[in-house]
Amino acid sequence: MGHTSLEKIIALQKKTPHIRNLCILAHVDHGKTTLADCLVASNGIISSRLAGKLRYLDSREDEQIRGITMKSSAISLHYTTGGNEYLINLIDSPGHVDFSSEVSTAVRLCDGAIVVVDAVEGVCPQTQVVLRQAWLENIRPVLVINKIDRLIVELKLTSQEAYTHLQKILEQVNAVTGSLFTSKVLEERAEKDAEAQSSCTENGSGDQVYDWSAGLEETDDSDLYFSPDRGNVVFASAIDGWGFSIHQFAEMYSQKMGIRSSVLLKTLWGDFYLNAKAKKIMKGAQSKGKKPLFVQLVLDNIWSMYDAVVTRRDKEKVEKMVTSLGLKVMSRDLRHSDPKVLLSAICSQWLPVSQAVLSMVCEKLPSPAEISAERVEKLMSVGARRFDSLPEQTQELKKAFLDCSADETAPVIVFVSKMFAVDSKALPQNKQRPLTQEEIAQRREQARQRHAERQAANQSAENALCAQTEALSVKTAVEEDNKEHFVAFARVYSGVLRKGQKVFVLGPKYDPSLALRALPEGCSAADVLPSVPHMACCTVDSLYLLMGRELEELDEVPTGNVLGIGGMEEFILKSATISTSPSCPPFTPLNFEATPIVRVAVEPKHPSEMPKLVRGMRLLNQADPCAEVLIQETGEHVLVTAGEVHLQRCLDDLRERFAKIEISASKPIIPFRETVIRPPKVDMVNEDMGKQQKVAVIHQVKEEQTKYPEGVQVDSTGLVTLTTPNKMATVGVRAIPLPEEVTRLLEDNVELIRTMEQFSLFAWEDKTLDINQKILENIQEFKVKLESNLQGRKWRGAVERIWAFGPRRCGPNILLNSVEGYRRPSVWQCLEREKETEKAEIRDFDNSIASGFQLATLSGPMCEEPLMGVCFSVETWDMKLSAPLAQQDSIDEDSQTAEPNIDNQNESSDTHETNAAGSSVDCYGPFSGQLIAAMKEACRYAFQAKPQRLMAAMYTCEIMATAEVLGRVYAVLSKREGRVLQEEMKEGTDMFIIKAVLPVAESFGFADEIRKRTSGLASPQLVFSHWEVISSDPFWVPTTEEEYLHFGEKADSSNQALKYMNAVRRRKGLYVEEKIVEHAEKQRTLSKNK
Amino acid sequence: MSIFTPTNQIRLTNVAVVRMKKGGKRFEIACYKNKVMSWRSGAEKDLDEVLQTNTVFVNVSKGQVAKKDDLSSAFGTEDLTEICKQILAKGELQVSDRERQSQLEQMFRDIATIVAEKCVNPETKRPYTVSLIERAMKDIHFSVKANKSTKQQALEVIKQLQQSIQIQRAHMRLRFVLPARDGKRLKEKLRPLIKTVENEDFDEQLEMVCLIDPGCFRDIDELIRCETKGKGTLERFSTLSEDV
Repeated sequence: MGHTSLEKIIALQKKTPHIRNLCILAHVDHGKTTLADCLVASNGIISSRLAGKLRYLDSREDEQIRGITMKSSAISLHYTTGGNEYLINLIDSPGHVDFSSEVSTAVRLCDGAIVVVDAVEGVCPQTQVVLRQAWLENIRPVLVINKIDRLIVELKLTSQEAYTHLQKILEQVNAVTGSLFTSKVLEERAEKDAEAQSSCTENGSGDQVYDWSAGLEETDDSDLYFSPDRGNVVFASAIDGWGFSIHQFAEMYSQKMGIRSSVLLKTLWGDFYLNAKAKKIMKGAQSKGKKPLFVQLVLDNIWSMYDAVVTRRDKEKVEKMVTSLGLKVMSRDLRHSDPKVLLSAICSQWLPVSQAVLSMVCEKLPSPAEISAERVEKLMSVGARRFDSLPEQTQELKKAFLDCSADETAPVIVFVSKMFAVDSKALPQNKQRPLTQEEIAQRREQARQRHAERQAANQSAENALCAQTEALSVKTAVEEDNKEHFVAFARVYSGVLRKGQKVFVLGPKYDPSLALRALPEGCSAADVLPSVPHMACCTVDSLYLLMGRELEELDEVPTGNVLGIGGMEEFILKSATISTSPSCPPFTPLNFEATPIVRVAVEPKHPSEMPKLVRGMRLLNQADPCAEVLIQETGEHVLVTAGEVHLQRCLDDLRERFAKIEISASKPIIPFRETVIRPPKVDMVNEDMGKQQKVAVIHQVKEEQTKYPEGVQVDSTGLVTLTTPNKMATVGVRAIPLPEEVTRLLEDNVELIRTMEQFSLFAWEDKTLDINQKILENIQEFKVKLESNLQGRKWRGAVERIWAFGPRRCGPNILLNSVEGYRRPSVWQCLEREKETEKAEIRDFDNSIASGFQLATLSGPMCEEPLMGVCFSVETWDMKLSAPLAQQDSIDEDSQTAEPNIDNQNESSDTHETNAAGSSVDCYGPFSGQLIAAMKEACRYAFQAKPQRLMAAMYTCEIMATAEVLGRVYAVLSKREGRVLQEEMKEGTDMFIIKAVLPVAESFGFADEIRKRTSGLASPQLVFSHWEVISSDPFWVPTTEEEYLHFGEKADSSNQALKYMNAVRRRKGLYVEEKIVEHAEKQRTLSKNK
Repeated sequence: MSIFTPTNQIRLTNVAVVRMKKGGKRFEIACYKNKVMSWRSGAEKDLDEVLQTNTVFVNVSKGQVAKKDDLSSAFGTEDLTEICKQILAKGELQVSDRERQSQLEQMFRDIATIVAEKCVNPETKRPYTVSLIERAMKDIHFSVKANKSTKQQALEVIKQLQQSIQIQRAHMRLRFVLPARDGKRLKEKLRPLIKTVENEDFDEQLEMVCLIDPGCFRDIDELIRCETKGKGTLERFSTLSEDV
């Protein structure tokens, strides 16, 4: 078949019933791209000799090097059968788990799918996944069993064995489809049951008749399954270029043997054999030990062909076969030393795979016009919304979908499933075309003129300027060239999309009912319209026909076709719906099988290239449907990808296409929190504390962990008293652990606390801030909840006495005012505005205490991470202040309050002293600053006087796994300190759903490990859930006899908390209690015998 | 008569000498390399891992052992271990290569952490990560000085970094209220110190919310306090990096 011209394809695009949109799906390495190659070769785009080796649709360099497909790419093919011409829009998809998002984007645009299964490996995890994806998108699959040659050449099966093997594979595939079907039926059943039950309770009828049949019997599922006699299975070897369906052989033999082809079709696959004497086809080949018809008529022929060509290299026999088949083989191929060449030369003529596959596709897969009503409803109803609940105009659009008409009047509906980046050189506008004669002449003329001009200009002084501008224009052109262009990968569902047309671009969150209310009746995208959220108007810049690695420009694309749209990068982030009607709903979001879970922090090698990286990451975010890009509060740029391979590709993309700089990826920074707990009752070996005799510590003298400097007194109950350096003030602070519920409550109500804080701030300035009633109610509710959670003697009246929240005035820590005789306005004063209780006074330096608390909670003593769930109760606060000093300092109090960090950092501490020198000479700096520092230190010591613990961020992790890999999942989880919460079986399948929690610190590489260990049968999903106290004490050393026995003297083996703490301290450059050399003797460098 | 044969000669290798002068005499002890600092910081708790031998010398390299009389007169005890501990704690030593290296590394990290805390990327208004700052510091060939405080060095680094990457001190948000009389006069003086004025309200008194460079805080503070004679108030909200 010759090269198909562009005109032909354009003509075919208009015949909707003759279009087939399909994608090739399979497990990795089952031969999708090779099969695609064969199909491409049939159109003369590549040579059939190269088919299978070139991998034409793998256009990226790393795809070629690694030998796996990483993106879905489309190509339009032309196929003629029985006088009918078909346009086949073929989308090749990747098989690797990491790129299953690409599969989702491909599946959405298709009506049918070719599922490829390796004849040797059978059904693999990804095969199940793609079958499920096809099922969820309601598209019809056909099956290609590929690599049959491996059964012959590698496994050396006999044709009989091969037949049973193929049968088994077919059964496996059908089992997967069957389970999908049953789970769907069961789901529907459950829904129905639930409805029935609710109606039952309403009726209150006593006698319930329960129907035990699961509904499976009633639903017909026979048309779902794959079977060769139904014509939806092709046996092939794409690498050798052959493939067949039973259909072909039935035709062939019906002529030869005089049996009706319809009979043959039914009997060629299955337990039938040919009774040579009676010339009859009989049932029960297996029981009678006869060769089944399929083996005798089909497989044996192929086997003997391989035997002759590959194994024995029998030239005469080959020639005989070739002539009997009526083929012509070039003598060059016959003489070739590699038998494979000859084989593919013969086979590709005898049983061309493209013929078999394409004819099956055209016959069995639906055209865009045959889109089912069910699928349309599914596409149009976002999320849990039911189709019926959509606005009326939207429901009318369903008709447009079903009609699929290319009329002028039909509304245009296009779905963009992904954006992909194209080098501007690859765009057809910029492509070099052979010049026509006139053009050449014209250019010559221009060149001549320019030459003349230059000569003229040479004399004038202007030439320098001229050259400069010219250089400039060249430069801008170059810059333009480097720009990445984005092309939207899309399909037209209705109407005709034209170049230059004005359309609405609807984001995934767009709501048609909102827009319909906002927009006038019958408006179009060309009018000036009020802005509606998630909707934009734009003009279609250019349309492309996707031809693998090339693009062809088009002027219009009628309904039912897959296309590329240029110039949309401003409007579309990842996916969108394009329509001329504002009532069009956005399509349901793509079903992603793999959610992105592998997180890395990305940084440029050279810090000055930061802006380039930011830009590059933005582009990457747009170009990849599955990659996520986040900027953390810490300034980290985090890239989240679906897996290691996907990550590699994203990094390569960043390096070579989007950012064009050197980058490095590293573990993201893991946050921790510090907290205190109540003294534990049992020790590390679960013995009661206190009963044990503390053994004499052998080597290490267990010292007090913190040596308190002078001026600090700590009593046995954990009350820390500290005096400022000038001996003017003394504060007594105690740290108390907050109940878990309170911490959670504080965390959830950050916004409320912030509002309250703002109010107090204004009140302090004698102003009022208006807070609306709703928020006030919320605050009241919050207060009540706090009170209910802070019960007991210790917490009596605590809620009223709250002084501040921290850190940053709204965190999960509390400062409590327990100073006797000090009544300060409470933080709840916004609630009591009306009552106007007696004015409570604010002591001088009140703010300093609060600031000290803020600073202490911002970075704890363990590893300078924020505190969480700690309550600092100020129990004493004595001031021996002479009045004038107080006067003087209270003036600058507010200036000093919150600036101790400046006050340390500032170079000019001397200037300050001169200020203070005015009234009293204080060598320790301003008093308020001292008080802040003292308060901060007091908090820190109070914290250290209690049992300290680290808190780790936890992920909840949901893992879907089959029963056989369950053990390995558990192994990986426990190795990484994970904890399984629950495990249950998914109804109707053999999948288990495991819920576990996993520390964020252990999650790096988790997804990859679990996939490797379970050969891809388990896929985790991680979501941040909460903070959890790590039960082990980072400062713990063994003290009792049992602990020595259990952990040894040093006990440095298993302390997870210590490990985390030291890692953070090391990262921050804090002091880590660690020996530089572990064993002094082992660093001997000089020779002994000198 | 004692015979010096190689058999009763103990050769020490891998020695770090700690010296101390006390009572007019010099005492030395022989320790292992890279261990003395760990002992002093408390990380190493096993004395045998620090001392090669608990003999106190007058000169380690010559093998001259200190006399008992000298020891008891200088330290007031004859317990060698006790004396060794005293010398270990207070004596002077040559800091060995790895000790110095780890110390400098730690300071380098500390400086980078301080810089990262204080600065933001002016484009995104977000802080830089510590590792990026470290790399930038290496790029400008910054070398740590062991005898200067890390905070001081961090401030120097920020100035140097501003030439190579986009970096800025995180702005400080201030609000001050000035009496109307002084307001006009002071405003002119304050103008050069203020980066951006976010909010300005001038009726009975001048109220301003503005962003400043933290380095100017002292100047502004002083200016307001002196010029208004304590009538103006100044309040710091937060650094900008915390807000975004």
